[in-house]
Amino acid sequence: MRYVSALLVSVLILLVAGFAMADEGDKVYGEGVSAPDTMLVSDLMANPEAYIGKTVRVKGTAVGVCEHRGCWISIASDTEGETVRVKVKDGVIVFPAEIMGDMVVAEGVWTANELTMEQTKKVCAAQAKEDGKEFDEKEVSTCMTLYQISGTGAVVASK
Amino acid sequence: MEMRTFRKWCRTFHRELGFLAVGLTLVYAVSGIAVNHAHHWDANYERTLERYSIEPPGTGPTAEIGPVIMERLAITAPVKSTWRAGEAEFQIFLEGGGIDVNLVTGEVVRHGFAKRPLLFDLNFMHLNSGKAPWTGIADVYGGMLIVMALTGIFLVRGRKGLTGRGGVLMALGFLLPIVFAVVSRGGG
Repeated sequence: MRYVSALLVSVLILLVAGFAMADEGDKVYGEGVSAPDTMLVSDLMANPEAYIGKTVRVKGTAVGVCEHRGCWISIASDTEGETVRVKVKDGVIVFPAEIMGDMVVAEGVWTANELTMEQTKKVCAAQAKEDGKEFDEKEVSTCMTLYQISGTGAVVASK
Repeated sequence: MEMRTFRKWCRTFHRELGFLAVGLTLVYAVSGIAVNHAHHWDANYERTLERYSIEPPGTGPTAEIGPVIMERLAITAPVKSTWRAGEAEFQIFLEGGGIDVNLVTGEVVRHGFAKRPLLFDLNFMHLNSGKAPWTGIADVYGGMLIVMALTGIFLVRGRKGLTGRGGVLMALGFLLPIVFAVVSRGGG
C-alpha cells in the first residue's frame, strides 16, 4: 500500500507540474472556435433577428468581464459604443479579469431573450447605475429583447 | 473474504487515501466556501478604485481626443488598448486594471485588480478553469473520496459503529440532502 500511495503522490505531483507549465500561447476557453468565418459585430447587431439560433463567431476587444463568476464578456464592436455580450454557462468557462483589453475571438449561438417588464426595468436600472445616471422606471414603456451569444468557446490572442 | 480481513483492508485504504486527500480536501473546502459566496465578494481578485479629475477632453472624434487624454492622464504603464464606450465615455485598458474617463466632466475612475494570493489558485483548481489535466486529478480525488466514504463505514464496530451511533449519523448524512432536494423541488 505504501508503494501505491507513493505512486499516486508522484502522479499527482507530475500532473500539477505539467498543469503549472501549461503553454503560454493563445489561451483557449471552452471548445475554442471552429466556425469558418468571423463576422463583424456591427453586422450582427444591425440585423439581430436574422441570426437567431445560428452559430456566429465574432472578434474584438474584451471591454467587460463578469466580476462575480467570469461567466460573460463584452466584446467591442467595430462601431464605437456598441458591444456584444458572450454569456457562458457558469463554471463551464471562467473568463479572468486579465483579458480586459485583449483581443478575443468568441463563438456561440446567437440568442434572443424576451424580457418581462419587470426584468426590463431591472436591466435598465442596472445599466443606469453602471453609467452613473438617474433612473426613472416610468420612462420604461416597452419590454426589451436581449440579444447575446450563448458562448461555447473563445480564444484570447497571446500578448 | 472474512470480515476481519475486510475490515483490515478498509482501515488500510482509508488511512493511506486519507493522508493523500488532506491537501486536496483543503483546496476544495476553502475555495468551496469562497466561491459559494461569489455574489457577496470577489473571491479571485482584490479590487481597488480611485477617483480624480482631469481637464475635460471634450467629446470630439476619438482619433483627436485619444492622444489628449493620454497626455492629461500622464500614464506611465503600458496601454493594452482603448475603447470609446459612448459619446462621453472613454476606457483605457492596462495590465491589472483600467481607467474610465468621462469626456464631458473630466472625471476619472481608475480601477485595479490583483489576484488574491493562494485563493485565486485554489478557486482556479476548484472551478477546474484550467480543464485537463486537472480534470484527471479531480476525478481521481472524487474516486478517493468514494473509497474513503465506503471504507469508513466499516472502520468501527459495536455501538459506535454502523449498527449504533455511526449508523444514525450516516442516516442523517443521507437525510439532509434528500430533505433539501424534496423541499427545494416542492418550492419550485
